[in-house]
Amino acid sequence: MNNIIYGLSRAMAWFGAVVLTLIALMSVVSIIGRALSGFGLGPVPGDFELVEAGTALAVFCFLPWCHLKGGHAMVDMLWHKYPPALQRVLTVLSDAVMFGVWLLLVWRMGVSMDEYRHNNEVSFILQMPVWWGYAASMPAAVVGVIAYAWRLLESLGLASPPVGFAMAGGGH
Amino acid sequence: MEPIWLATASFPVLLILIFLRVPIGLSMLVVGLLGSWQVYGSAMPLLNQMKNLAYGQFSSHSLSIVPLFLLMGQFATLGGMSQALFKAAEAFLGHRKGGLAMAAIGACAGFGAICGSSLATAATMGQVALPELKRAGYAGSLSAGTLAAGGTLGILIPPSIVLVIYAILAEQNIAKLFAAAFIPGILAALGYMLVINIVVHVNPKLAGSVPPMPWPERWQAVAAVWPVLLIFVVVVGGIYTGLFTPTEGAAVGAVSTGLLAWWRGGLTRRKLQEAFESTAGGTAMVFMIVLGAAAYNSFLALSQLPQELAGWVGAQGFSPYMVLWAIIVFYLIFGCIMDSLSMILLTIPIFFPMVSGLDFGLTPEETAIWFGILVLITVEVGLITPPVGMNLFVIQSMAPDISIRDTYRGVWPFVASDLIRVTLLVIFPAITLVALRL
Repeated sequence: MNNIIYGLSRAMAWFGAVVLTLIALMSVVSIIGRALSGFGLGPVPGDFELVEAGTALAVFCFLPWCHLKGGHAMVDMLWHKYPPALQRVLTVLSDAVMFGVWLLLVWRMGVSMDEYRHNNEVSFILQMPVWWGYAASMPAAVVGVIAYAWRLLESLGLASPPVGFAMAGGGH
Repeated sequence: MEPIWLATASFPVLLILIFLRVPIGLSMLVVGLLGSWQVYGSAMPLLNQMKNLAYGQFSSHSLSIVPLFLLMGQFATLGGMSQALFKAAEAFLGHRKGGLAMAAIGACAGFGAICGSSLATAATMGQVALPELKRAGYAGSLSAGTLAAGGTLGILIPPSIVLVIYAILAEQNIAKLFAAAFIPGILAALGYMLVINIVVHVNPKLAGSVPPMPWPERWQAVAAVWPVLLIFVVVVGGIYTGLFTPTEGAAVGAVSTGLLAWWRGGLTRRKLQEAFESTAGGTAMVFMIVLGAAAYNSFLALSQLPQELAGWVGAQGFSPYMVLWAIIVFYLIFGCIMDSLSMILLTIPIFFPMVSGLDFGLTPEETAIWFGILVLITVEVGLITPPVGMNLFVIQSMAPDISIRDTYRGVWPFVASDLIRVTLLVIFPAITLVALRL
């Protein structure tokens, strides 16, 4: 089970980066098209909207991996001074809050997606239904729920990460 | 409780959570949501607000520049440009006293011109320069201090992720901020070189020596860095002249550094996967903080605290410079314990209205840009001040043989140079603004 969750999160991180690379390529094509508009070419239609939906998708794909890696920014200046029991309690609480808040956010995002689907709102240029953007990001957001739940189980001592998995410190 | 007192009380709660090692973004998110819930008095408005919270923040067009710049930095690393930049700087500076350390600063500045992140710059240049400095006999303290400080040139010299975030929060023009950051960035590099010069004259034992390079080799080394120059001119020049938007500029940067990496054979499958994972980690970290800050700042706005505070400060008749210095000192102190991005996201919505209400004898736009550059530099100092200086940790992890005590000792002259530069930029706003008045 742990191999599936970690493997999936990791594959999603790669996929998100590929999406990001495609966004970059599309933007460059769009700039070239715009520059050559005298020759009958033009910018990619709706490039703005594609960048937005693509970035959201990429970020949703990146989040689970970052959390499993312990990559979020945190201040561990006093951490080693806390007694081990307190450290355990804090880790469980922090992971539980992360799971709870994310579950709440994904639920609300689903409600929002449903509303956009029913009111048929479309984007400005491409006339693309707004809910498509939500739908594209939804699977990644749900994987996030699973990954955060798994991390909570790990900190409760009910599950363990794959053998040889190394956590990294946060920072940027 | 009155919303405004609720907001005031939320600061210590937030700090406590952060010190209990709850991720910073998550702390802001939870405190912000609970606070808004209290102000609204019922859950429904909050649940409605949450419907677009995550997707709305993540699909922001202006923020899409952040992952693109991170990707650009990763590709630049794989392109092997760090090595070429260091060689070129070494060719001209290496044989002088302390020259190899100065060369490391010069190479950091060059890398900063195609990378918008300080940690990436410190990590990349550290990998190249630390072994060379050690081989030439430089003291560990000087090497670690040099690379940690040099790394900050990654955000000081445009492009810069921190400036992008500031531009979004303060609703300022990114191109103008990049232009304004240029001269202070160069000053930073020169200041660091001066520091090295002074340090090795006071204590000559700290520096090693390398023989001078013959002239033909020097020109060869310089010629090898043309792609860096080209990419910088195209990306920053294109954004500045309005040829393309900042996001498109970042896309051009990512694609061109990607091509460079591919052309130089840096894109092996394994390295590409690593680069993708670093981009993923960095992006997710930034957006988690962005998400938390969005929730927290909408709670603050709801409580009216920023407006009330700005009004109160305006009514006290403090001199504008007194307020500015107070903010700078606040950033320097908090920079020792907080990370730069969270600090900016948390404080700019409060400080910016305060500062834009003050009269420094500048136009509102000039004040905003000048303040942005000052904020950039002061939060950057936080990257190299103990105990929580991210760049120090990066260097530490790469050179385990240099003790953390030596690293701390090596970095303080650079911190001093930062403080002198901040003072100069406060006293002479023209240094920052001259690029805009041209």
